[in-house]
Amino acid sequence: MSTLTRALWIALLTSTTVLAAANPATQVTASAPQPSMRSMHPNFALLDADAVNVLKSGQPVSTMKTCGQCHDTAFIASHAFHADLGLSTFTPSGKTLDSSPGLFGQWDPLRYRFLTQAGDERLDLSTAGWLMLNGERVVGGGPATTSRAGRPLTELTARDGDPETSVLDAAGQRTVWNWSASGSMEMNCFLCHLERPNLAARKAAIRAGHFADANTATLSGLNIVEADGKGWVWNRATFTAGGLVDSKYLGIQAPTNANCAACHGEVHPAGDAPVLLSACNLDYPQTATTGQVVASQRIDASGVNLAGKAALRRPWDIHAQRQLKCTDCHHALNNPAHVNHVQGKEPSHLRYDPRALDIGDYLQRPDHNFARGQSAQVHVAPEYKNTMRRCENCHDATARHQAWLPYVERHMVALACESCHIPKMYAPAIQSYDWTVIGIDGAAQRSCRGVDGAPGDVRSLVTGFEPVLLQRNNVDGTSQLAPYNLITTFYWVYEDAKGGKRPVRLQDLKAAYLDGGAYAADIVATFDSNHDGAISPAELRMDSPRKEAVVKARFAKLGLQNVHMEGQVQPFSINHNVTRGEYVLNDCQACHSAGSRVTKGMQLASFAPVSPVFNANNNVSGSGDLIRRGDGALFYQPVPARDHLYVFGSSRLDWVDGLGALAFLGTLLGVTVHGGGRYLAFRKRPPGHESIRRVYMYEAYRRFWHWLQAISIVILLLTGLIIHRPDLFAVFSFDSVVSLHNILAALLVINAALSLFYHVATERMQEFIPRPYGFFDDAIRQAKYYISGIFKGEPHPFEKRPDARMNPLQKLTYFGILNVLLPLQIVTGALMWGVQRAPELALALGGLPLLAPLHTLVAWLFGAFIVAHVYLTTTGTTPLEAIRGMVTGYEEVEDHDQHVSG
Amino acid sequence: MNIRFPRWILGLFAIGLLIIVPYVYQHPLFKPSRDAATNIPAKSAHVDHHDIVKGDFKTGQDVTRACLVCHKDAAAELMKTSHWTWQSKAFEVPWRKGPVTIGKINQINNFCIGAQGNENKCMTCHAGYGWEAGKEAQQANPENVDCLVCHADAGTYSKGLFGNPAESVDLLAAARSVRATTRENCGRCHFDGGGGNAVKHGDLDESQYFPDRALDVHMGGKHNLQCSDCHVTRKHQVLGRALADNYTIDPAEQVSCEQCHKGSIHKDERIATHLKSVACQTCHIPAIAREEPTKVTWDWSKAGQDGRKEDHYTYLKIKGEFSYSANFAPTYLWFNGNNEYRYILGDPISRNGPTYINKPAGSIKDPTARIFPFKLHVAKQPYDKVNGYLLQPVTSGKDGFWTHFNWDQAFKLAEPITGLAYSGQYGFTETYMYWETTHMVQAADKALQCDACHSATGKPGRMDWKALGYAGDPVKWGGRKLP
Repeated sequence: MSTLTRALWIALLTSTTVLAAANPATQVTASAPQPSMRSMHPNFALLDADAVNVLKSGQPVSTMKTCGQCHDTAFIASHAFHADLGLSTFTPSGKTLDSSPGLFGQWDPLRYRFLTQAGDERLDLSTAGWLMLNGERVVGGGPATTSRAGRPLTELTARDGDPETSVLDAAGQRTVWNWSASGSMEMNCFLCHLERPNLAARKAAIRAGHFADANTATLSGLNIVEADGKGWVWNRATFTAGGLVDSKYLGIQAPTNANCAACHGEVHPAGDAPVLLSACNLDYPQTATTGQVVASQRIDASGVNLAGKAALRRPWDIHAQRQLKCTDCHHALNNPAHVNHVQGKEPSHLRYDPRALDIGDYLQRPDHNFARGQSAQVHVAPEYKNTMRRCENCHDATARHQAWLPYVERHMVALACESCHIPKMYAPAIQSYDWTVIGIDGAAQRSCRGVDGAPGDVRSLVTGFEPVLLQRNNVDGTSQLAPYNLITTFYWVYEDAKGGKRPVRLQDLKAAYLDGGAYAADIVATFDSNHDGAISPAELRMDSPRKEAVVKARFAKLGLQNVHMEGQVQPFSINHNVTRGEYVLNDCQACHSAGSRVTKGMQLASFAPVSPVFNANNNVSGSGDLIRRGDGALFYQPVPARDHLYVFGSSRLDWVDGLGALAFLGTLLGVTVHGGGRYLAFRKRPPGHESIRRVYMYEAYRRFWHWLQAISIVILLLTGLIIHRPDLFAVFSFDSVVSLHNILAALLVINAALSLFYHVATERMQEFIPRPYGFFDDAIRQAKYYISGIFKGEPHPFEKRPDARMNPLQKLTYFGILNVLLPLQIVTGALMWGVQRAPELALALGGLPLLAPLHTLVAWLFGAFIVAHVYLTTTGTTPLEAIRGMVTGYEEVEDHDQHVSG
Repeated sequence: MNIRFPRWILGLFAIGLLIIVPYVYQHPLFKPSRDAATNIPAKSAHVDHHDIVKGDFKTGQDVTRACLVCHKDAAAELMKTSHWTWQSKAFEVPWRKGPVTIGKINQINNFCIGAQGNENKCMTCHAGYGWEAGKEAQQANPENVDCLVCHADAGTYSKGLFGNPAESVDLLAAARSVRATTRENCGRCHFDGGGGNAVKHGDLDESQYFPDRALDVHMGGKHNLQCSDCHVTRKHQVLGRALADNYTIDPAEQVSCEQCHKGSIHKDERIATHLKSVACQTCHIPAIAREEPTKVTWDWSKAGQDGRKEDHYTYLKIKGEFSYSANFAPTYLWFNGNNEYRYILGDPISRNGPTYINKPAGSIKDPTARIFPFKLHVAKQPYDKVNGYLLQPVTSGKDGFWTHFNWDQAFKLAEPITGLAYSGQYGFTETYMYWETTHMVQAADKALQCDACHSATGKPGRMDWKALGYAGDPVKWGGRKLP
């Protein structure tokens, strides 16, 4: 339902309800919606809490009794985390602000109301207060019917100071709540199973504290029942002669997306009406916190004032476009249609177990613990995490990605599908709530990301935002990057009489800042830095010790002790608004380059009064840096290396590059100086050895082998450099360069292996092996030659002969290169290449964060070697003679036999 | 001087090959173009005829004689085409003995019903002159071929009675303007089929003279295609056959999207799987008559009533009562490119339910059939109460229905022309005629979305799945199973 029609609908229903309440005689049948013709549900008796037909008793309907005629409502209510909301694991604690993992007890700094625990010094939300505040998103049952100790709320006797039997009145004073008068709120089957539940009437009943009437109010407006101001008037005309309600007026059905939307967020039905959004509005919690919108419509057809909209010819959510319903993935766990998926993989030989639940049994006792994922923000029912189908349960991703994505397996291991398939959110989402200060309206200083201007204002340009990628630690022990929105909240906490930490109540916060609906005089005096007599939004921030002191003093007057500011950064999972094709993140350099998506940070707040902590109560690694700039702006900067991620083209170790560059440049400098010296010496005194002979130095294979290797290594170094720093070489396509690098690496390894075989088979190997005997003497002779002899035009100490072409230093160098550098480079390279096929092997040897820098370091050393090697070829009889020899095979060398030496 | 070839070059070449060959194997240098526009056939260059054509022309035939001096085969070529004969090749149809032909020349539709006996008016759209001489004489003479109607600048030429040029036409100016056909040449007849703009087709109307991309992605926007870019013409034989004037159609004679859109176009596998059962047109032509309303019903029985307010869209005394509709969803049927039935003069009408003038062939069980969009035109037209067949009146001319509003006289006049006996008793019966919808194609961004046909919420979409032979929405009930 679009917001507009929803608003109209609610307005219509509200007005009819109000009319009905105001004038009992008014007939509302004229404006009642047409009955649904689709429901197959049989007619049934509506029973009250005493199991008496409401036609007889005129009492509110009891869902547990009514639906319990056929369905096992006790089973359903006790197998429903939507009902439980954390009650079953409610554990009071003075140390933390959370007393349960669910809506009932989990500290939510966005809504900023604290569910008071027994024994707390001050009452903020009592159970009744909590229900009145949150009730429109509470399905009923659980904490709406049952006390924290497990007793029916209606049987509780009021005790002084008991947060379960008291409530704050309008003046902020603690008064007694009489549960037996208000009744409690049974799990409301109608809310999710009616085609058109009356949400507005239900909300009105809950807000008024008429909990026992909430479920009956849900039925109003359907021609079945209306409020008459005192009680409920049941419309006999929509009942059969036997007193059964005509089911087609109810439109009972499996829950639709609209039913889920009533509590969860923006959901739009199919149709041409342009999608409109309520941005950053906590009445649409999933949308407000993440920007997720479930709509099949193309974004370019929506009514959102969105930047670049015309090019967004993609649906908001491809699964909605392809006709999936919420319940297709979040299904009842014992639904026989999905049971094969739930059964698991044991015994392992069994692909399908036909012994599924009978459909009749299922309808009687449908498990209302629904399959769920593992989002960071929902903690209730942790035992059901990851019970829903994941992407790969429906999609065979490898087959489609194989066609274009290199290293498919590696990408699949490291990235959740959402990371690439939800590249951007096109609805705004909450960025921060700062409760350390308070607006005149009693609201936090709020900011919303993805919108230029006030959210919800049609004139504001929605820009959308790119989620931040964080490491998600999955239930199955794996870890993947997945997209999140980060919401940062700041608030005051104090120490109560028992030493427990509690958030400063909204009531106390208001009292500290406001006096009679305006800012208190000393608050204005402190905050109003431009002395215009008013506090502007820019001034309304806790940015000086003086402001802090004044507010703390006012807290102290209210009796609040040890007050200080806290902040937390909370990740919110983004799993919807999936897209495909051209809208997916599929450009290599989006991640494999500088400014990689993987390292892309997120602004957390334009002003942070304190440094917050990253909320650890979730499965997300907040291993990045929280950076608070001088002006107070706060950012989150992911550091992938801390999650053992190495992203080629983005990640690097600066000290490795520094060391490598030092070796390379040092060599370059060395040969330049040495070469310059030789040149000067040569000009002074041309070399004087007379005897030169032409020798067939290198046979054809050796030359071929050498040059293939030389070209491979040079291109490997160049392509490696591009892979390492694609941002400097943007002209090259990353995947082509990677593929060339791999091809050359394979060539190099094959060439090296064949050459090794050649050398072993022909016993040429000996040339490479330094003779131990007299080696050092010879090496020193050679070194001396390079240091001084060469400048004096002395002959080489060792004759270069076809059967002994290498001098001792060469042998030593090659011994090192062939035994250390080359194998190391081949092994690290192969492991990196093989990381997708045998990830455990690479992991066992340190994983990419170790292998990749090592590979880089050795590459630098190879680069340095190439420089030295090329330089040393110029030390032959003429500077180019050795290169000519390696090209043609024939080289002119000094003829030591003819040479007369001292 | 004898320079020895440096053999090391060979080695370098071998090394280069070793690197380049595997790389090119993984990264082909040339990828086939996916741009359908590259598949539009090239046309020969235009020759300006301004200095070639000399007068003086008194009649259309004079012009044709001049054309034939150079284009010797042109008339003979054209005379083999249905633009000249106004009838199809001969078909054997199961419900008749002996071959039949179908066309405007001898059969009827459910718009203006039939051309026989109405040649003076109807031949305004025939590519020939001289119908005053009668059919046999007209058809035999190559000089009657009207070159100008297709090749002259449409602004310089128009036709009057019996297919002859209108009195006011400057034949020399028209003849000098000749060139390859444009949308305007084709549109003069095909956009105004049924007697006016947009009346007959629903997917062809005068908005396509100057279309924008939103109206027709082919004719509008950057492509600016002319009819002959798809209706490829060789030796005056125009590719493409109208369903209404044929019984079966050889696919080789039909225009298809695949002429240009080759290979697997839809990267989205979910969409690609639709192609087995859904024609391109179904999704890419979401609506008929996007701008100009087209006629959807025509009740001849109301014709001739005096004193009624007349206007083009609701009632005309000469034609009866009608309704028009614009921008509406087509009717969807299984379609294999042929007719299952085409009404032949003298065929019995249906006594229960409508009589089909034509009925597209295909069913859910036919592997060659795909769901295809049609414009359905429903008429009430005259039939012979005794003989039980549809009647064709003479409407034009001094004794025709449009002059005297006397049906008896109109049917009696037609009797010798159609050779169909008139019993003297007539009535009106409902007839259906289906027109395939293939123009006003929309680009992907304006094509139908999933929820146009499928509905997770049970809200009925535009497909009547049960009527098409499915158990229900194939998303839930599965697609058709073909052997």
